[in-house]
Amino acid sequence: MTDQVQAHNAPSTPRTAVVIGGNRIPFARTGGAYAYASNQDMLIAALDGLIARFGLQGERMGEVAAGAVLKHTRDFNLTREAVLGSALSPETPAYDLQQACATGLETVVGLSNKIKLGQIDSGIAGGVDSASDAPIAVSEGLRRVLLDLGRAKTTQQKIRILATLRPRDLSPSVPGTGEPRTGLSMGEHQAITTAAWKITREEQDQLAYQSHHNLAAAYERGFFEDLVTGYRGLVKDANLRPDTSVEKLATLKPVFGKDLETPATMTAGNSTPLTDGAAVVLLGSEEYAAAHNLPMLANIVDAEAAAVDFVSGEEGLLMAPVHAMPRLLARNGFTFDDFDFFEIHEAFAGTVLASLAAWEDEDYCKRVLGLDGALGSIDRSKLNVNGSSLAAGHPFAATGGRIVASLAKTLSEKGGRGLISVCAAGGQGVVAILEARN
Amino acid sequence: MSGGGSAGTPTQELERVPGLPGLYRKALTLAVRRRIGRAGTPSQLPDARHAVRGVTADPTELTRFQQLLHSTARDLLPSAYLHTLAFPVAMSVLARSDFPLPLLGMVHLSNEVHQARQVRSSERLDVVAWAEDLRPHAAGTQVDLVTEISAAGERVWTGRSVYLARGVRLGAGAEAEQRQSSDRPAFSPPTPTGIWRLDAGIGRRYAAVSGDWNPIHLSAPTAKALGMKGAIAHGMYLAARMVDQAVPAPSGALDWRIDFLSPVLLPGRVTTSFTRTRDDGDGSSGAGRTDVVGWSAKRRRPHFTGWVRSGQDAGGSAQNG
Repeated sequence: MTDQVQAHNAPSTPRTAVVIGGNRIPFARTGGAYAYASNQDMLIAALDGLIARFGLQGERMGEVAAGAVLKHTRDFNLTREAVLGSALSPETPAYDLQQACATGLETVVGLSNKIKLGQIDSGIAGGVDSASDAPIAVSEGLRRVLLDLGRAKTTQQKIRILATLRPRDLSPSVPGTGEPRTGLSMGEHQAITTAAWKITREEQDQLAYQSHHNLAAAYERGFFEDLVTGYRGLVKDANLRPDTSVEKLATLKPVFGKDLETPATMTAGNSTPLTDGAAVVLLGSEEYAAAHNLPMLANIVDAEAAAVDFVSGEEGLLMAPVHAMPRLLARNGFTFDDFDFFEIHEAFAGTVLASLAAWEDEDYCKRVLGLDGALGSIDRSKLNVNGSSLAAGHPFAATGGRIVASLAKTLSEKGGRGLISVCAAGGQGVVAILEARN
Repeated sequence: MSGGGSAGTPTQELERVPGLPGLYRKALTLAVRRRIGRAGTPSQLPDARHAVRGVTADPTELTRFQQLLHSTARDLLPSAYLHTLAFPVAMSVLARSDFPLPLLGMVHLSNEVHQARQVRSSERLDVVAWAEDLRPHAAGTQVDLVTEISAAGERVWTGRSVYLARGVRLGAGAEAEQRQSSDRPAFSPPTPTGIWRLDAGIGRRYAAVSGDWNPIHLSAPTAKALGMKGAIAHGMYLAARMVDQAVPAPSGALDWRIDFLSPVLLPGRVTTSFTRTRDDGDGSSGAGRTDVVGWSAKRRRPHFTGWVRSGQDAGGSAQNG
């Protein structure tokens, strides 16, 4: 393929960036169908399906952006390597991005901004994560010794360095889900927030039930037929329990928040399990989609990131989207009433319910968010209508791609406007607006 | 030499910072000699200050300290590291043969530090330390150990540590001030914001970076020999983590205090609560106060309480002159 110099100048006013389509592999429970697949394998599997669906073989895309949260050091160029392993033109540039669980959504935001600015005409955004094939590092002590050994010049120096090795240095270091600055796991953090907002066990189980019910119904009516490509024998998300019930969920033992003064309410049923999977989204300008005879599912309108001070306990770890939301709405002149679909990532049922409660709380909205009153309520019938992470699972960086593709398709079918909210480790969060084209 | 306190107190200049293991050995010998009646026990504090000039931090040691404490390896000395640099000078006062309380087995009750500005790791520091205010306590006798650190004649750091010699009664009338400590209110844990998981080796590793090889921190047998239930975490390890977590990027003055309520047995988990209050004068200073509690969730018992206050440069900066 030859380089073609673009004839047009970069537009002075931003143009429209559209979601053309998406593809993901079914999400597997950790240690399941993808136990031995690497992040690169899964990302390529998701890309392969997208390329086949939209006839992108040999195409030089504007850019591919993706990322993984649990990443091996050898995967320093994960996305570019995935491009080279795919049927896309090897002249397609790529970059890695990492913003914990917001990685996938942020790649969509980044590439759509480039499209809006006229820097690229097309792009593929996405993410992948494997909790099964997680990197294991040598201990900090052994790592130091090995690095010092490499720098040592004489045998005497080497012996002296080896002598500092301790037996405990030989046990490996496995990545955890703990926040480095607090030592609390994400679930323990959420348990504090869940308790602070007095979210009941029943509400959480009800939300988890609804997620399974909605995801199962979406599979049932073939909603995912052009959004999911089977991989390694899986054709549906392995975590999905179509026959679960509120009664069954109520039998599970609490796993987080057991050290708190309040009763523990968070179980394996109303928290997302560790999952493996990958998801990608095809983005383009209207001109690109039209020229390639591709569908346009929805416009990417705007996005906002926020971060909160969870280290000092001022705010809950996963409450950043709560802060981003009013800023995004105000900038675009919208209220919750202007939206027909809400995609709030279910890291934990408690995260979604605490967010909803916060936006409905007048005092909190005034005092913490600096608003004139409560931000508003969200109609539950518009929430996660095709299921979310509690049912599908949550391979960290893949979740954004799953949500954007599902919401864009829903908007293309039903019309209207959709709002996305994704919380992330480190007290961060990203929210975004998508809009139907008709 | 800068430094407050009464005039006329003799200052004893030490050539260099003494080694703590040597001080502990000296203290042990003294304890044995007192036990067998070969050495007397004075009833008053020695009227002396110990000083060392030109103390500097070793960059490698500093990096080890910072990394063990989960703190950023900046070219600034953590407030608790200034304590560590000066600590042996203070300990040398306690190890004097005319010091009335037994150094070994003394309990660290609290620390309060006033730091005027941040100190660069390359600065040459002068340290002076003395003991004052020997007084009765419900459980024995307590004493303040005061340490001042100066750079180029300007005082940059003042620390006051309170120690308790359990069961030691000095002089008549000491019992008169005894209070019952049972009226301490029941502890109700605040909402946690974090957890410190301390493994069995943390006492040895902190000893290696701080030089404080007090046997009560090293292993269960050495700690039990000194009357502890097992090895306990260094108070200054807890203080250092508290200060660093409360103010990860200090830029000016830094004041803090920690009160030790019960020892942290190793290995162990300390649940922590950090509560930040901003004192927004004009909102631009970044100044504020963080209150901290560390406790055992299992035993529902507080290990320590403390606060950290950060503010703008309280003097000594070029702008302030």
